[in-house]
This record gives sequence, C-alpha cells and structure tokens, in this order.
Amino acid sequence: MSPRKARIALRTGVVAWMVILVVVPISGLVLRALASGPAAFWGYVVDPVALAALRLTFGTAALAATINAVGGTLIAWVLVRGKHPALSALVDIPFAVPTLVTGVVLVALFGPQAWLGQVLIAVDTPIVFARPGIVLAMLFISLPLVVRTVEPVLSELDPAEEDAAETLGASRWQVFRHVLWPAMLPAVAAAWVQTFARCIAEFGSIAALSGNIPRETLVASVYILGELEAGHADAAAAISVVLLVLSLGLQPAASALVERRYARV
Amino acid sequence: MRFVLALPLLRVAAMVDFRVRSQPPIAAWIFGIVGVALLSSASGCRSKDGSGASTLVLAAYTTPREVMGNAIIPAFVSSWRESTGTTIAVQESYQASGAQARAVAEGFEADVVALSLTPDVNRLVDAGLVRETWDDGKDRGVITQSLVVIAVRPGNPRNIRDWADLARDDIEVLTPNVRTSGGAMWNVAAIYGAAMRGHAGTAKDDPAAAEALLASILARVKVMDKGARESIVNFENGVGDAAITYENEVIVAQQQGRPVEYVIPSSTVRIDAPAAVVHRYAESHGTTAMAEAFVAHLSAPDSQKAFAEYGFRPVDPTVKAREFPPARDVFTVDDIGGWKKLQEEVFAARALYDRALAKGRPE
Repeated sequence: MSPRKARIALRTGVVAWMVILVVVPISGLVLRALASGPAAFWGYVVDPVALAALRLTFGTAALAATINAVGGTLIAWVLVRGKHPALSALVDIPFAVPTLVTGVVLVALFGPQAWLGQVLIAVDTPIVFARPGIVLAMLFISLPLVVRTVEPVLSELDPAEEDAAETLGASRWQVFRHVLWPAMLPAVAAAWVQTFARCIAEFGSIAALSGNIPRETLVASVYILGELEAGHADAAAAISVVLLVLSLGLQPAASALVERRYARV
Repeated sequence: MRFVLALPLLRVAAMVDFRVRSQPPIAAWIFGIVGVALLSSASGCRSKDGSGASTLVLAAYTTPREVMGNAIIPAFVSSWRESTGTTIAVQESYQASGAQARAVAEGFEADVVALSLTPDVNRLVDAGLVRETWDDGKDRGVITQSLVVIAVRPGNPRNIRDWADLARDDIEVLTPNVRTSGGAMWNVAAIYGAAMRGHAGTAKDDPAAAEALLASILARVKVMDKGARESIVNFENGVGDAAITYENEVIVAQQQGRPVEYVIPSSTVRIDAPAAVVHRYAESHGTTAMAEAFVAHLSAPDSQKAFAEYGFRPVDPTVKAREFPPARDVFTVDDIGGWKKLQEEVFAARALYDRALAKGRPE
C-alpha cells in the first residue's frame, strides 16, 4: 500500500470510528429531544423543576471548577517543584473509585451516623443532603483533571525565568503576576472547562448524597434519570442536550486559550 | 446471539440497586460484575441447546429479594425436580419496579416478572409481552400485600402518630422519588387516599385538602432516594425522624436487629404487589409451563407463609404465620378510583403531586 493510500485508509477508519462512537448516539439524542417539536423542547427546558435543576447544576459545577482550579494548580505546583510520588499517586485515586462509592463514603463520613456529621448538623451546617455536599462530591471526582492538565505546563516553565525576574528586582508577587501567571493561565482555563463539563455530567456520587429534592438539591443528571424512569424520554433528552450544548460551547473557548499559549512560545 | 442477550443485561446491571442492606458497595460491584458474566454466559448456553427448558429468568423489584432467594426459589426448584425430574436454575434480577418494567419492555428477556404495582405489569401488557388476562385469577395477579406505614426511631421520641404529624416543622421525612420508585407512588397514594377518605383531619372527597396535606408533608422531606430500599437504608443510618415505607421493610429491618419501629396511620393503603408470566419471552424460550408453575407457586400456602415470615401480609387469609398489628382504615387503590385515575389526576406531569411538591417547596 502506498503511503498516500495508507493515509486515506487511516483517515477513513478514524472518521468511521468517531461517527459510530460519537456522532450517531449524539444525533439520536438531539433527534429524540426535538421529536415533539421545538415548542415541546422549550417546554421541557423551562419546566420550573428542570430549570431549577439546571441552575443548581451550573452553579455548583462553576463553584467546584473554580475551587479546584485554584487548589489543583497549587497541588500541581507542589508536584512539579518537588518529588512527591506518594502525593502524585493520591491525586489519581478519585478516578479509580466508582463515583457511587464516593457518594456513599461521603454520606458515611458527613452523615448523621458519623460524629463529624453530627457536629455539622448540630451547628446547622449540614454537608450531605444539602448543597455543600454536591460541591464536595464534584470537587472530589474532578480533582485529577486540573492537576493533570496544569502539571505538564508548569513543568515546562523554566525556573531561570523566575530567577532572572528576581535579579531584575521583581517581588515574589510580581514574578507570579508577570512571569508565571501568563504562562499558566491557558492551562488553568482549559482545566476549568474540563472540570466544569465533568461536574455537570456527574451522577453516581450526587444521587447518593444530595437528597435529590426538586428545586433544592436535585441536579440535572438525577432529574434526567427521573424523567427517563417515568417514561418521559423526550424531556430527559431535552435536558441532556442543554448540558451537552453548554459543555461543547465552552470547549472551543478553552482550546482557543491553549492555542494562544502555544502561539506565544 | 450471546452478545445481543448480554447487552440488555449489562444495562440492567448498570441500573441495579447496589446499596443492598449488609453488603458493602465494593462487594456489590464485584457481585454485579460476576453476576452479569454468569447471566450472559448462561443465556449463551440457552441459545446453544435450543430447548432452553432448564433456566427460568425472574425480573423482580428489590423488596422481595431475600424471601425469593432464601425460601421461595429453592422450594420451587426442588418441587419442580420432584414432579418432572429435571433440575432447573432460576436467574434472578432485582431493581426498582419501574426500571425493571422498562428493562423487560426494552428487551430484557425475563420469563416471569414480580413488580411492586399493577401499572408496571400493565406496561408489559401494552408492549405485547404479557397477556391481557394475567390478572383474571382470584387474587388478580397479586402475590403479596402490605401496608404503607411510618417508620420511626425506637420509642417514637417525636411522638409521630398519623399523617398530619409528618407535616410538623420539627420533623424530617424520608420518602423516595415517585419518578423512579413504585414504593414512593404507594406512599403518595396512601396520603392522598387517607385525605380523600376524610381520615387525616381533612374534609372528605376534597382534592384541594388532599393536595394541601401532601404539600405540607412534602415540605418536610429531606431526602428523596431513587428507591424504597435506599430510603430505608438511609433512615437506618440515622437520616430523618420518619420514613414513609412498607410495613414489611420495617419488619425485615427489625428481624435483622436494627432499631426501628413503625406506626400505622389512622388510614392507609394496602399495597398489592403482582407477578405475571411474560408469555412472549417464555414461549420463545420454551419455558411457559415452568413460568406458569412458578407464578402459581408464589400463591401456594408455603410461599405465602414464607412471604409472611418476611413481613408481607399474606394474600391467602387462611395462612397464619405471624400476628400483624391491627389497622383502622385500610383501603385499596381501587377504593380511591384505581391506578388509571391516580395516574391521570395525581402522578401525571403538573398534576396534583407536582403541584403539591411546588407548593410545599416554594422557590
């Protein structure tokens, strides 16, 4: 086979694979969502319970992504500037645990059967079966995303640049503001978007610990399950499409940021 | 073929309720994975030998899992061996009733279904899988009865006596999500029916009063789990002051030494759980006789006795396995208009339940 033919074969194979894996199921979802017409679609989305679930999901996911963007970047910094194999292994644990188990463990820790949970309930700041639990679950399940996205970028940074800046009289803050931050911003932003997308899709852990009360602690993914089980597949598909559009819409913004970073180098 | 059969099973496994009492989640996972492997290989065997007359697939809701596995299925296997000389295997799948009905409707080829409420079986009738005559028998296809009760902490420290107490603002209540749980629908039917019958401090036959009572109770709900079993497990773990649940769930918890008591409200609904042969699948598997014998076995006195030992009220009134506390006003779903009317007036989108939920929890 000539190199040209091989290239065409490879490309066709990849496209076919992506079509089977991604395009077909997603088209099915969108078609399903629009099966009863755009008016019905809109009706499903603006249903008060659905809307409240979407708002809660986006709000908690944005908060979790922001907290993890800061915390995860700090962890990545520590990993890059020192040798901590044990810490590095710990970072990946959330991806290895089934998220349903995460939810059950958090309930066991912060629920009323544990002393920690009893103390929190006594001071009227419950974590589980309340909104903070949703954010906590999201923080846990998405932690590796920020660390592993930011880490390679940080390890590329040359400490000599920082030394140079300091030699020129820059304060620690100025070094961070003018040398480090511009270099890492695109990676942190990309990690934020990935984390946000992962969090709005989270189901298992949140279903176990949030309480799932409509308008209060019911997130979009659990709402979708309820609609599916009740036989309202169209409504479930409509809300899924909203989640999909939002995560997809943010992805190009993140890629643009990352490209800008490489354009500078 | 093997793959085609395994796919719906994988789906089912993904939905199966892992948080089974006394089983740690990790073990449940491993159990689930091994179970799927076994089931899919067994369905492979079945398609190979063609006759398929040696395995029966039971798709059930989660509540009767223990009594089925420990008593009723072993008894059926041995009586079938005595009468026909063949040793059979029964494959069991348990998950929330509504999800189970949907799985079977979408191609999970069970020979027999045991579900928590009649409308779930009727979905299979609509799908052309179960015969329309399935509930013509004397018990109308019902194999167990129970009551919707209020589970409380030992000694009933919050002095919860009746539905109206669940609306008190010092009480936290657990009840599952009606969208996913058949049990939750029974709970709502109990409150609605008690109000409509004028037994909950409300005017008789006044839907507005029933909606108001339901709204005030839903306002006190702290956790809405996916299924009845998860809900009672959370209650046992210390969440909430009261859980609306089945009488038999509390009895099983008590048998396992868990500190939980229950109160029978002044008026409550009798839970009728049905079983049926899935004729379409059974015929294609060549298991019709076995499936029919199994469903008949569920109503036999020995099985009814076993159900009673696990806290269900027997359908056969002559079976006396345990004393159940007396209840004042017990009604059936037919007494309050039947499932069809309830579906339309209470459970449909934006109907009474949705309105009560919105009213109880204003934004």
